[in-house]
Amino acid sequence: MILFIVLWVALSPLGWLVTDAMNMTGAPASKVMEEIQQTIQVFTIVSMPLCAFVLAVLLYSLFGWKHVQGDRPKFESPAIRTNRVGVGLWVGATSVLALFLVGWGLVELAQITANAYGTIPSDEQPDDEKPLIVNVTGQQWVWTFEYPEHDRVTSAQLYLPVDRPVYFNVTSKDVIHNFWAVELGVKIDANPGAITQTGVTPNKIGTFNVRCAELCGLHHAYMQTKIRVVDNDDFNSWVREMGGQKTS
Amino acid sequence: MKRALITLVSVIVGVGIVVGVGYVAFVASEEPAVIVAKPNGTMQTPKGELPHAVLDLSVYPNSSKDVPAPKTANAIQANWLSGQPFYGPSTSIQVPANSVVTINFTQYDGGGTIYNDFFARVHGSMDGTISWNGKSVKSIPQDQMAHTFTVHQYPESTQPYFFLSVPLPQNPPDAKTNKAGFAEQPQQISVTFITGEAGTYIWNCEFPCGDLYQEFGGPMQTRGWMAGTFEVV
Amino acid sequence: MTIAPPRTTRRSSTTSRTSSRTGSADAARANRGGAGLKQDGGGRGGSGAVARVFGNPVPQPPQHGKPGGLLRHLNLGTALLLGSAMALGFGYLANRLTKSGATDATFAPLAPEYTYLAGLFGWALGFSIGIGAFDAPVRWLLGRELTHADAEYLAGKNLGWQRYFKYTTDHKVVGIQYLVAAMVTLGFGGLLAMLIRTELGVTWAEVFTPSIYNSIIGTHGIAMIIAMIVIVMGPVGNFIVPMMIGARDMAFPRLNALSLWLFVIAVVCLISSLFVGGVQDGWSVYQPLAAQSPPGMLGYQMTIIIFAISTGVASVNLIVTILLMRAKGMTWVRTPIFVYGVFGAAIMGLYAFPFYQYSQLLAMSDRILDTSFFVPLQGGSVWLYENLFWLLGHPEVYVILLPSTAIMLELMPVFYRKPLFSFNFAIAGIVGVVALSGLVWAHHMYMTGWAPSANYPFMLSTELISIPVGFLVLVAIGTMWRGTVWTRLPVMAIYALVFNKIIGGITGIYLSDVPVDQYMHGSMFVVAHFHYMLMGAGLFGAMGGIAYFFPKMTGRMLDERAGSIGLWTAFAGFQLTFGSMFVAGLQGQPRRVLQFDDLFNISNWLSTIGAFVIGLGMLIFMGAIISSWIAGKKAPANPWGSKSLEWQTPTPVPLENFRVLPVVTSRPYDYGVPDPYDAEMIANEKAREKQAAKVAV
Repeated sequence: MILFIVLWVALSPLGWLVTDAMNMTGAPASKVMEEIQQTIQVFTIVSMPLCAFVLAVLLYSLFGWKHVQGDRPKFESPAIRTNRVGVGLWVGATSVLALFLVGWGLVELAQITANAYGTIPSDEQPDDEKPLIVNVTGQQWVWTFEYPEHDRVTSAQLYLPVDRPVYFNVTSKDVIHNFWAVELGVKIDANPGAITQTGVTPNKIGTFNVRCAELCGLHHAYMQTKIRVVDNDDFNSWVREMGGQKTS
Repeated sequence: MKRALITLVSVIVGVGIVVGVGYVAFVASEEPAVIVAKPNGTMQTPKGELPHAVLDLSVYPNSSKDVPAPKTANAIQANWLSGQPFYGPSTSIQVPANSVVTINFTQYDGGGTIYNDFFARVHGSMDGTISWNGKSVKSIPQDQMAHTFTVHQYPESTQPYFFLSVPLPQNPPDAKTNKAGFAEQPQQISVTFITGEAGTYIWNCEFPCGDLYQEFGGPMQTRGWMAGTFEVV
Repeated sequence: MTIAPPRTTRRSSTTSRTSSRTGSADAARANRGGAGLKQDGGGRGGSGAVARVFGNPVPQPPQHGKPGGLLRHLNLGTALLLGSAMALGFGYLANRLTKSGATDATFAPLAPEYTYLAGLFGWALGFSIGIGAFDAPVRWLLGRELTHADAEYLAGKNLGWQRYFKYTTDHKVVGIQYLVAAMVTLGFGGLLAMLIRTELGVTWAEVFTPSIYNSIIGTHGIAMIIAMIVIVMGPVGNFIVPMMIGARDMAFPRLNALSLWLFVIAVVCLISSLFVGGVQDGWSVYQPLAAQSPPGMLGYQMTIIIFAISTGVASVNLIVTILLMRAKGMTWVRTPIFVYGVFGAAIMGLYAFPFYQYSQLLAMSDRILDTSFFVPLQGGSVWLYENLFWLLGHPEVYVILLPSTAIMLELMPVFYRKPLFSFNFAIAGIVGVVALSGLVWAHHMYMTGWAPSANYPFMLSTELISIPVGFLVLVAIGTMWRGTVWTRLPVMAIYALVFNKIIGGITGIYLSDVPVDQYMHGSMFVVAHFHYMLMGAGLFGAMGGIAYFFPKMTGRMLDERAGSIGLWTAFAGFQLTFGSMFVAGLQGQPRRVLQFDDLFNISNWLSTIGAFVIGLGMLIFMGAIISSWIAGKKAPANPWGSKSLEWQTPTPVPLENFRVLPVVTSRPYDYGVPDPYDAEMIANEKAREKQAAKVAV
């Protein structure tokens, strides 16, 4: 029992360490990413007791209860065939855990989907902000971003204005790629012959990464580019620089 | 004792096999020799006066007696890639940092329509233009493309962002070709760009000039043919 | 003490000693041809010949030629010769028949493709003919039935070491053949893994070019998957399961041999692909990327097509054997848990592998016949491929996981000397996994945009499947509870297995959650998770199982010191490698990349160091296996004091396994529980003695 508590306490910092690892490049840069991180933290904290319990039993069975070595066993252990309370507790605990995680996940998913498709107004999305639309095209092995509302300005880097929702229409010209805006917490496959959609509202200014997360050939590892989240004025001047006239 | 010996021998043999196969794969991975841009005095640029370097590259539709195909891992791959276009003399390119570099392309191949017109435009050159047979242009018509020279990002955030894309026009379908299939009067393209701090990048062609699905297979996916490394030192 | 009345054996803790005495005498008699076959010498084919099989006369069909017929002359050597000859021949023919310079609509040269495909086909056909796989159909066509002498020859009777190189039907021989073949494939995959980690460890340069690196990772993946599917079901499933259920052989012995040799053919196809450009598209070879790859892709497709047949055949064999050939008295309650595990895995393999085969057949057709199942511009769908693939891809990981978990649960009672905790929940866990495994595949496709609203139900089913898997962990720790552990190598592996399974299982829960998967999909976090499950739980469990059954399968004890050193070295390296890999994934490193941001350098250096440690540990373990096989201590018939049927046979196991088929009267894990039959018999004895004493007086 003591072993169990000790292990539980020892393992708890993992919940924060995992998010520390994720934050090394400037994440989180959007509400979606923040929620994802929160989910990871919650999952970690909630699974720690189970993990600690199993590890405690493993360790105790080696060092707590007896063990023998040698050639031939001359012992018999207590013939515990089953233990209703133990089994009931375990089944109950794991089921509750699984259902809790399912429930949390379903709610999260609904929220993120609302952000992505704008179907349900969510509180993360200010109503007066018109979303920016970016057409993302993956091609072996370069990402190109087109801004249809800004005279179809196309660039190899992704410029985004801060605090404005953006919808990505993602497709591919050849094989399956995966558009992963790492610190924004957005990911969707780029399929040839189809347009997939996702959306996010970046809420931090900085430089972030787009990586391709689906093997797409020779230079898959090099199919990366930068996201530059800037404030609205910088965004507009960038658009003008790229030859676009219509700004917002 | 005998058992320990056999175990030891097994381990050593195992390590030997791993090292051996690794070495074979390493040797097969050898890329073409690096070509370095030659220093060529200095040039005036919007960023001041910078040292200038020049590099010559050619694009061939296939190999010939005078222009052998790039080295391949084995004879089977050579067979598989025979008749496919490639860049010469090498695809491993080195240019100096903090300089202005000019690359002269001699393009001997025919072409067609590019799938993504983003790459029919010039990106990343010093003034946004290239010189096409002497004329200064910002893009090549989408249906007259042959290849591109697109340099892009190594997944390294500590090195500067660099993106250069040069569209290379086709030799028209009715152009005269020599016995090997090379155009007798190839297209001459020249691009000038400024390099920043040192970094390693890679480049590849973005025009479907290979084979198989979307013509992006074969040489398009082979280093030494239509893809290579680009080092800024 | 007297043995039980004739024609029955029952489990008791002392049976091991007595049965080995009688068993070896029987084995000697059997090997001297004591089964009493009377037959004519070759050629005369006297009908009306009668064979005595275990004392019973059985009329025989006419004997054509010497026993075994053509198979007397066919072995691995002839198979290799014929396979290579036909590969070269078909390839040459295809080359000649293809117009020089012919290309398909996308300018790909046709000659290399057709040559390679024809070569592969020739190899498969030639090898099958050369090893004798067509012996059975040809016999059937000619109307020649197998006589008892033929069947004994096929089973390798009196053939000595040669029977391991022939189309032998004896399940024990097939088990050993599978063990060697699986270990070779594992070694091949492990070799590639070392190369991968070298590349990822050298963060400042490209050691291999991207195309070679991509084909190394793809081939590593598929080789390991194939090897892991086979590593427990093959050796242990074939060698041990029939003995464990008290049968003489599998239900379809010739199919058994077929499944093994098809496996060998498939692995050679895979290795050959490395020389023709490799498999550059991961192990999942998504279309349409695979439509751009060099001819090596045909090698992959052929490998899978053949391997799927091998697995299908093996699954059918296992299912029928387990359903119909259990010993008398072995009700489902008295069936060992390993049999359940193998049964569940076989069912999953049977329904899932056809999807895989189908996906590769369609892909091959796209490539060779210019169809467009998966080519979007011509009306195909990339999502179709992904669905077909993952319909296999998910059950397949349970096909890997279930047998090694079941084998661990099987041996735990032996080493803790207490019954398996909650046998019913172990069964419930296996049944739950099998039932749910077919309903969760699209969790690999959360991010494809295939059907965003489908993400909800798949998330539910995926999180639910953690519950039956949890039952198996419950049974394991329940068996450990308050048990004295006999710390020998096989049971130490279970500590490694449970530890890795908990980490793998919990990280799996993260991935099953769609929002979290939105970050984690396609990152190294996924790679670390499945290595924890498939390698951490799967491979370490398999190692424990092999260590456990080693004495029965090879007649020698596995060198425990070397084996333990190997196992724990590999375990330590494993934690370092894949623990750091979790960190790399959290930081944002994608999968299948050979160069990456400086940020991930430290994690990758640690992973690489760990990987070399794993390699060393695995080599030591393999060295222990080899050295023990050659020069190990000779093993007694039941070194672990197990009560289950397979240990009640002598070592080396005679051809017919049991002189007399056993009848089962008690549950398999009744350690620490007094045997009721024992008590009754002792009471009867006492009563008889008292009676005799009374009479004497």
